[in-house]
Amino acid sequence: MLNASDRLSVSKAFVAKVVVFAACAAALLTFPSWAANPYILSAGVVVLSYAVLSTSWNFVGGFTGYISLGHAAFFGLGAYGTALLITKLDLSSFVAWFLAGVGVALFAIPVGWAALRVRGASFVIVSIALVLIMLLVFQSWSDFTGGSNGLVVPRPFPDMLRPEHHETFFYLFAALLAVTLLCWWLIDRSRFGMGLKAIREDEDKAEALGIPTYSYKLVVYVVSAFFTALGGGMYALWFGDLDPVFQFSILIGSYMVLMALLGGVRQLYGPLLGALIVGTALEYFKLEFGDTQFHLVATGLLLGIVVLFMPDGIIPAGMKLVDRFTPERSSIREMTAAELLERDQSESSERAGRHASTPSDPEPSTTEKAKR
Amino acid sequence: MTLTDAPPRESLATVSLSKSFGGVKAVDDATVTFVDGKVNALIGPNGSGKTTFFNCVTGMIKPDSGSVSYRGNDVTGRSPHRIARAGIGRSFQLCRIFPRMTVLENVLVAHRTDGLRSLLKGARNDDEIERARGYLRRVGIDHLERSEAADISYGQQKLLELAGVLMAEPDLIMLDEPAGGVNPALIGRIGTLIRELNAEGRTFVVVEHNMEMVMSLSDHVIVFDRGRPIAEGPPSEVQTDPRVLEAYLGV
Repeated sequence: MLNASDRLSVSKAFVAKVVVFAACAAALLTFPSWAANPYILSAGVVVLSYAVLSTSWNFVGGFTGYISLGHAAFFGLGAYGTALLITKLDLSSFVAWFLAGVGVALFAIPVGWAALRVRGASFVIVSIALVLIMLLVFQSWSDFTGGSNGLVVPRPFPDMLRPEHHETFFYLFAALLAVTLLCWWLIDRSRFGMGLKAIREDEDKAEALGIPTYSYKLVVYVVSAFFTALGGGMYALWFGDLDPVFQFSILIGSYMVLMALLGGVRQLYGPLLGALIVGTALEYFKLEFGDTQFHLVATGLLLGIVVLFMPDGIIPAGMKLVDRFTPERSSIREMTAAELLERDQSESSERAGRHASTPSDPEPSTTEKAKR
Repeated sequence: MTLTDAPPRESLATVSLSKSFGGVKAVDDATVTFVDGKVNALIGPNGSGKTTFFNCVTGMIKPDSGSVSYRGNDVTGRSPHRIARAGIGRSFQLCRIFPRMTVLENVLVAHRTDGLRSLLKGARNDDEIERARGYLRRVGIDHLERSEAADISYGQQKLLELAGVLMAEPDLIMLDEPAGGVNPALIGRIGTLIRELNAEGRTFVVVEHNMEMVMSLSDHVIVFDRGRPIAEGPPSEVQTDPRVLEAYLGV
């Protein structure tokens, strides 16, 4: 039941959204043609892969508020799953990639079943434990995984030159990102998504209203693991060389969280924006400061700034800033006529209540007398 | 056998329900039957186990022993959402809402879902929105539907919580201190709402400290002391019962 002026502003906002979306999509899709050199293009691929991972993480983090620092486990399993299915079973690259994603999703069912029983800090610790276990398993089981010697992933397009390879994978990652975003958006607007957001706000209350919170969390956890694994598998096909230390790294898991928090976990494009900023910064610092660990210091500082000044992320902070420059809308803190009436009524009855009981309830006075 | 097929013989009943926290017996061998179609009040001094009893019945806490049945079906130890789906709605002692969702969304959360396909439907389904708005209008805060729930006053949040409970269309509504921390005018409004909803056939179980409200509102009063019922009956009888006066007023 929108009134006319609302409809107008809604349609204006809609047009603005479409224009911004089209401009961003165009900039993204033409990036390979205006990237200065293959290195910049490969950095673009890295940033896009971060965007996929962070958006995938945001299925759990954004909707339910469960902060998983262990999503690198699904990333690594997706990567190794893809590589091992190709090398051991001789499957074609993209069949292996998809099957690895499905396999990791199945694996995520018992993991989520156990991990989602605990909340808050306990869940964070359980999620970290998962990565560390995977790291040890993949390092130690070297005759199967290649261990610390690494595992070479056969290239899906052996005839391609390097720039061409980067460009292809840039578009593959962009397509994967689009599907992931679409899926997030569909959940966001569904009843299922509303239930998940209720879990984020108050899990017990959601449960009391009839939402099967545990099943909801588990489903979205599995979806999240699936997309994270697809991101990992795609990374394996692109990069071509896997090492447990990098694939099952706490750092990758932390990046996913940082990017999502930076952009805004409640926003569809939050993790993507976060990945653009953090990913670009990481690549820049690595380039400028080489092998030092300075990029980690910079990342830590960035996280500190976000938590202190923009706890909801850049997108909500930016929207607030824009709102300041637009003509004032009627604020929700202003009182409507109905509220004023209510306030006046309550005040007058409070005053009346001091002298006698409320006039609307004649019975209480008699019961009070009876008590005396 | 589904819950809806069962004739409404008895409402909620517990048999020898017990729950201890460490050495404290919060609920101790409580056998209670609530009257169907009536406003039942659960009163008792602080720490007499009313809220723990509430939590055991609604599945938030698993009882140590004893059983809970609703309309003849055993619901002991079921998860809260299944008890909610069985037709029992509840509010919380310290009003609990979803602070970072709008008032309308707070109510929409409690929509009835039937099957997986309805879950994937848009949350902003027109019928559901109209239903949610109806309940907001009913409790008198429909003008706030676009506000964030965290921004409205405590009294309004209490009303919002009630609207959310109603949205799930429960047959039995359990309210934990509906008059706690709200102004007298609002207490009157909540009382009127409860009476209206009761007249429409909903059963109520109300935990309340406001005696005026309890005595004027309820048809059946159950008095708790040290985790078990010590007296029950119509309000006029209960308030003169010497055991109640002793437990409640310490005289």
